Amino acid sequence: MKQITNRFFLVVSQMGDAIYFLMDVLRNIFKGRVRFNEVLKQSYEQGWQSAVIVALTSFASGAVLALQGHVVLSRLGAKEYIAQLVALSLLREMSPVFTAIIFSAKAGARITAELGTMSVNDQILATRTMGVDPMEFLVVPRFLACFLVLPILTLISEIVGILGGYFIGVYQANIPGVFYINQTINAVRFVDFFSGFIKVFFFAILIGWICCSRGFTTKGGSLGVGKYTTEAVAQSIILVIIFNTILTKIILTFWG
Amino acid sequence: MIHVSHLVKTIQGQMILDDISFDVARAEILVVLGESGAGKSVLLKHLIGLLKPDKGVIEIEGRDITKLSEEELLRQRQQMGYLFQEGALYDFMNVFDNLAFPLREHTSFDSRMIAIKVEEILKMVGLEAAKHKYPSELSGGMRKRVGLARAMIMDAKILLCDEPTSGLDPIRSRDISDLIRQVSRRYQCATVITSHDIDNAFRIADRIAIIQQGKIVIIGTPQALKSSENHFVQEFIS
Repeated sequence: MKQITNRFFLVVSQMGDAIYFLMDVLRNIFKGRVRFNEVLKQSYEQGWQSAVIVALTSFASGAVLALQGHVVLSRLGAKEYIAQLVALSLLREMSPVFTAIIFSAKAGARITAELGTMSVNDQILATRTMGVDPMEFLVVPRFLACFLVLPILTLISEIVGILGGYFIGVYQANIPGVFYINQTINAVRFVDFFSGFIKVFFFAILIGWICCSRGFTTKGGSLGVGKYTTEAVAQSIILVIIFNTILTKIILTFWG
Repeated sequence: MIHVSHLVKTIQGQMILDDISFDVARAEILVVLGESGAGKSVLLKHLIGLLKPDKGVIEIEGRDITKLSEEELLRQRQQMGYLFQEGALYDFMNVFDNLAFPLREHTSFDSRMIAIKVEEILKMVGLEAAKHKYPSELSGGMRKRVGLARAMIMDAKILLCDEPTSGLDPIRSRDISDLIRQVSRRYQCATVITSHDIDNAFRIADRIAIIQQGKIVIIGTPQALKSSENHFVQEFIS
């Protein structure tokens, strides 16, 4: 019983620390303490690191959707709807969630490991001893880079995923290319794009928050860096999936 | 320059610093000796405002830093240098950029002026040839030299060194100790060094304090310590 109580208080304390951390990050941003060069540098590093893998997995996802759609829709005599199936699945759900998960695993892990290594090697403390706020110098640029990069990666994922579907639709299902493109354009309403895309901003905050805060508070040497990094990635992915469910319900309630 | 009075700090119910008081004058070197866990590093972190005491006063040039906000502390620290055990250099910057960092942050120097200042301090610590190297390419002793150079690049009035000789062989330990003394004299800064290293403490200190379980057992000149009749002091320094 004592162990459970201790564990409970530990979790509550960690959540309190994490909320305080987020408030501190937001306070710096709203006070204008943003180093734009650092944000661009981090955006480039995070974006470049994830872009290729996002494109590859998105192309494969779009292709698989089209392959499955071809089989199922052909049974119903409706294979011309493959384009709609691919585009709507990717835009409304798959691209935002898959991109966020890949981003957590690649860029999120990198953020936690970098900040964690700096924490255990006293580099974060050293920043403070030099009269520089480590939140402003190290955390805010990484956090904002998540906010900047994840939507761009999601757009890449959506475009490349639709291309993957097009490839299968045209060359496997023998749908004419122009017809496939028209079907895609006609199927997608703004709300389909918006309902998926708006979720990405919430995911960016979640990933940036968790990965930065876990990295910043890492203790325990190299073992600690490994532990905190894997925890941060696991927590980000779980929270992305949970929040996706909640946000999807809210969005469908208002915009159907 | 540094005035510490009745400093008390408890962490998780354990008394880490128990009524610590001392002063350090301009250009004076105080070495704080003690066993592992005696509270030396915690004391140093209080002096630079990384930790707040439960009770007591820490005045740096007449200003009680225990009352300052984090933003005021950040400004205060621009006048202070802190040498970490392993140097704590940014591993994503080379030596030049590590040294230029405080200047770029806190001064309006142009790049030519920054380069002159960095070259000058690198020459002082004997590492002119290493300016393009990254911390991972440096030995432990070199990292500490660069750490010392970074601590002093803003012409600090207060220099705090946390175990500067730990992990070094006796020759490198003596070199870094002598370098700290040379730097302290040149910049006329009040210097506090925590250490286990008795020999080098006696080489460079103007005064030595010995801490045991959070309390200062003795504070005085090296000669005064040698002639002390306190059993713990004699056992510790022998």
